[in-house]
Amino acid sequence: MKPQHLLAAGALAAFLCGPAAAATLDLVEPIAAYKIYVSEKLQTLVTDTKAFTSAVKAGDIATAKRLFAPTRMSYEAIEPIAELFGDLDKAIDSRADDYEKAEKSPEFQGFHRLEYGLWAQNSTEGLAPVADKLMADVTTLHQRITDLALPPEKVVGGAAALMEEVAATKISGEEDRYSHTDLWDFKGNFDGSQKIFELVRPLLENSEAAFVKKVADNFDTVDTTLAKYKDGAGYQSYDKLTDGDRKILASAVNTLAEDLSTLRGKLGLN
Amino acid sequence: MSTEKSAAPRPSRAMPLAVAAAAVLVLASGGLFYYATISKQAAPADGATRVEIGASACTPNELALPAGRHVFEIHNASQRPVEWEILDGIMVIEERENILPGFRQRLTASLKPGTYEITCGLLSNPRGKLVVAATAASDAAATAGPDLKAFIGPLSEYKVFLVMQGSALVAATQDLVAAIRRGDVARARALYAPARAGYRAVAAVAGRWADLQNSIDPAADYLEKREQDAGFTGFHRIEYGLFAGNTTEGLQPAADRLLADVTTLKARLGAVKLAPDDLTQGAARLARRLADGRIERGENAYAHSDLADLDASLAGLAKMARLVRPLIPTAAADLAKQLDGRVDAVRQALAALKSGDVYPSYERVDAAGRRALAGDFRDLADTLDTVSARLSPG
Repeated sequence: MKPQHLLAAGALAAFLCGPAAAATLDLVEPIAAYKIYVSEKLQTLVTDTKAFTSAVKAGDIATAKRLFAPTRMSYEAIEPIAELFGDLDKAIDSRADDYEKAEKSPEFQGFHRLEYGLWAQNSTEGLAPVADKLMADVTTLHQRITDLALPPEKVVGGAAALMEEVAATKISGEEDRYSHTDLWDFKGNFDGSQKIFELVRPLLENSEAAFVKKVADNFDTVDTTLAKYKDGAGYQSYDKLTDGDRKILASAVNTLAEDLSTLRGKLGLN
Repeated sequence: MSTEKSAAPRPSRAMPLAVAAAAVLVLASGGLFYYATISKQAAPADGATRVEIGASACTPNELALPAGRHVFEIHNASQRPVEWEILDGIMVIEERENILPGFRQRLTASLKPGTYEITCGLLSNPRGKLVVAATAASDAAATAGPDLKAFIGPLSEYKVFLVMQGSALVAATQDLVAAIRRGDVARARALYAPARAGYRAVAAVAGRWADLQNSIDPAADYLEKREQDAGFTGFHRIEYGLFAGNTTEGLQPAADRLLADVTTLKARLGAVKLAPDDLTQGAARLARRLADGRIERGENAYAHSDLADLDASLAGLAKMARLVRPLIPTAAADLAKQLDGRVDAVRQALAALKSGDVYPSYERVDAAGRRALAGDFRDLADTLDTVSARLSPG
C-alpha cells in the first residue's frame, strides 16, 4: 500500500472510530488496578520465595517440594510484567533448554535449577547459592516493578501472551518437567490473563458484546476443566490430565490466545 | 547440533492443510499443539524482516532498520525450542519465547532510533545487534510532544500512588486517633507528622475538593475567631491541642471527623478521573503554592513540623516528575536533565537541614534559610511549568 493510501485508510479508521481520545484515558483505571494486582502478587512472591528458599537451604527436601509450585504461581500470574526485565527473567525462570549444555550449564539457575535438584536429583546439595540468588533476584524484581509505570500495551497484550505461554509450554508439560506441577503454573497464567480481561471488559461490554461473551465462555471452559484436577490448595500431577481434557483445554486456550491477541487493537493500543 | 532441521514447515499456499497436518502431528506427539501464532501467510510479501535462528547464532545476526513499526518473522532452524527478543539495556522491548524447532513466529515492534541487543536462541549464544536509524517521522516524533495515549501509563501509575498514599493516610490517621482516644499525649504528638505525610503526598490532587480541604487543613489564621472558631477543625485543630495545649482533652470530635474526612478523601482519590494536566500542571502548581508564601510562613504553627511536611510534599512532587520525565521529547533532553537537577536540589536542601536522621523544629530554620528553601521549590516550579508547556498533548 502506498503511503498516501495508508494515510487515507488511517484517516478513515479514525473517522469511523470517532474521537479515540476519550476511550484511551478510560484505560487509566484498569491499568492502575492491574498494577495493584501485580504489587500484591509480588508481595506474595517475595514472602513465598523466602519460605521456599529457606527450606532448600535447610535441606528440607519435603517442605521445599511442597512449596515449589505454590510459590511459582504468583510469578506465573504476572509474567507479562515480570518478563519485561530480560536479565531477571533469565535468572529466575529460564529452562535448561535455553543453555547449550542444558542442566549442566553453570548459568542454569533460578526456579527450574532448584526444581531439577529437588526432583531429578532428590537432593538439596549445592543448591544453597542458587536459593540465595533466587531470593535476591525476586527481591530486585519487586523493587523494580514498584517504581515502574506499566506500559499499557504490555498489560493489555499480556492477556494473550499468558495464554500463548500456556499453549506453548504448559499443555505439553515441558515447563515443570521434573516436578510435573504444570497445572499450578497453568492456573497462575490463566488467572493472570483472566484478570486483565476482566479489568478491560467494561470498556468493551457495549461495543464488543459478542467478543466479550465468547472470551468469557472460553475462560469458563478452562476454569471448569482445570477445577476437576484440584487437589487441596493446588493441583494434581500433570500426568493425571486425561487426553479428553487435554484436548478441551488445548482448544479453549488456543481460541483464547487468538481472540485475546485482538485486545490491543480493540483498545487502540497498537 | 549444527545441522538444521530439513523438514521445517514452510509457509505456502497449502498452508491451511499444512497447519492442519502440523496440528494433528503435534497433538499426536503429546500435545505440542500450538500453532495460533505461526504465520498463516505466504512468504512475507509485506516487508517482514526475516531472521533465522541457528544452533549458535542468528542469520542475520546484525540488523539495520529505519525507525517505525516492523514485523519480524523468526524461523527456528535449530533443534531446540528457543526465544528471540529485542532488548534495550535490561528491558525487553518485544519477545517470542518457545519457538519450536522448525517453526516460524511473528512479532511486531515499534522501534525508536537507537542500538538494541538481540537474544538469539540459546542464552549462551552471542547477542545479535539491531541498529535503528532515525527517519523524518522519528525526528518529528522526537520533537513533538507526547500524544494522549502516552499519558495512560504515567497517569495509571500516579493513580496507584494516590490510592496507596490514601490508604497510608487513613492507616496513619487511625493510629493518631487511637492515641488521642487513649489520652496518650506523647504518642499522639509523635504520630501527628506521620499522619500529615500521607495528606501532603497527595496534596496536588486533594486540593481540588474544597469541602474536604476546608475541613482537613484549615489554618487558624484564615478563620475569624482563629483557634476559637467553630471552623477550626482537622489536622491543625489537633496539632493545636497536642502541642499548644499539651493535651488530648476535647480533641475527640475533631479526631473522629478527621478520620471520616480522610476516609472520604481516600475514596475520592480512588474514583478520580485524571487528565494529563493533573500530572504536569498539577505538579507545577503545587510547587509554586509552597514556594509563594507557605514555606516562608510555615504551616504548623504549634508543632513546627514543617520540614517533615515538605519532605512528604517532595515525595509527591518527585513521583510526578519521575512519571512525566519519560514523556519529555528526546529533542528536549536538556529539559529532562534540568528537571532531575531541580528535584535533586530540593532533596539536598532538605537533607542539609536534618540533624542526624531527623528534621529539627522549623523554628530552627531562620528567615534566610526559609527563603533559600522556597527558592529551591520555586526553581522546581519554573522547570515544571516549562515541562508542562512542552508536554501539552497536541
